[in-house]
Amino acid sequence: MGFNQPLDPLLHSQLRLAVVSLLISVETADFVYIKEQTAATAGNLSVQLDKLSTAGYIAITKGYEGKKPKTTCKITSKGVDAFESYVKTIQQYLKP
Amino acid sequence: MKEKDISPEESMALINAMIGRARKRYTDNSFYFLLWGWITLIASAIHFYLLEYTEYPYPYIGWSLNIIGVIVSIFKSVKDSKKRVVANHTDGTYGWLWLALGISMFTIIFNGAILEWSVVPFIILLMAIGTFVSGAMMKFVPLQIGGIVFWILSFVAFRSTEAYQMLITSISMLGYLVPGYIMKFNAKRNGV
Repeated sequence: MGFNQPLDPLLHSQLRLAVVSLLISVETADFVYIKEQTAATAGNLSVQLDKLSTAGYIAITKGYEGKKPKTTCKITSKGVDAFESYVKTIQQYLKP
Repeated sequence: MKEKDISPEESMALINAMIGRARKRYTDNSFYFLLWGWITLIASAIHFYLLEYTEYPYPYIGWSLNIIGVIVSIFKSVKDSKKRVVANHTDGTYGWLWLALGISMFTIIFNGAILEWSVVPFIILLMAIGTFVSGAMMKFVPLQIGGIVFWILSFVAFRSTEAYQMLITSISMLGYLVPGYIMKFNAKRNGV
């Protein structure tokens, strides 16, 4: 397989890619919803969300719903760009 | 889901699977259509009755129910947005669409004296836009048919007296209520 350009290592990881694919389709999503949809453990998901947030791919808002903490995630425009170029690169890999 | 090396094929499959999961299968906005459908039906029926059969000096008194409608709508939308675990791109758009239409309706009614209070056909036209476009966004045909009903009744309303415009408004509420109840029934059946 001839690779024209390397894949973004931040996105080329199962859980982080799942999170970004989920967030690209919605406006905002709660931590609990992401955890359910990706079937990840809370600890692992937290670590991966932090990595994506540090890279500026997602924005995390922490608040409260009553007394329960509520973490909401939203993809940033930088995240959308990264996702689009990741998909383009993947498509090149998949070309026969 | 654990960290591991993935092939490009697996990546594509994962992306498709996640986007598929996030796609909203059903929207239930029936609460607002039923709330405003009943408020408008009752207010316009009272208006018609008072105009046609009594000498009551304030036939529009029933429209004060709108205040309750606004308060309940704001309360419900704030409560739902706090409870919501995921927000889709279209969710906010409904709010903006109906806010824009609400402001336009208010503008027409506020300047009603200039139109000699023949405002009903214009209000029904705005309801037609909201209902038809909401139906298109939700891919819910009954709501789009509701929109068409509003357009037809607006044609009739342009040719009617003030009292009968109120009666037409009452009847036109079928355009909110029938799709509203279908939506509510479907939501229950599909477990939304």
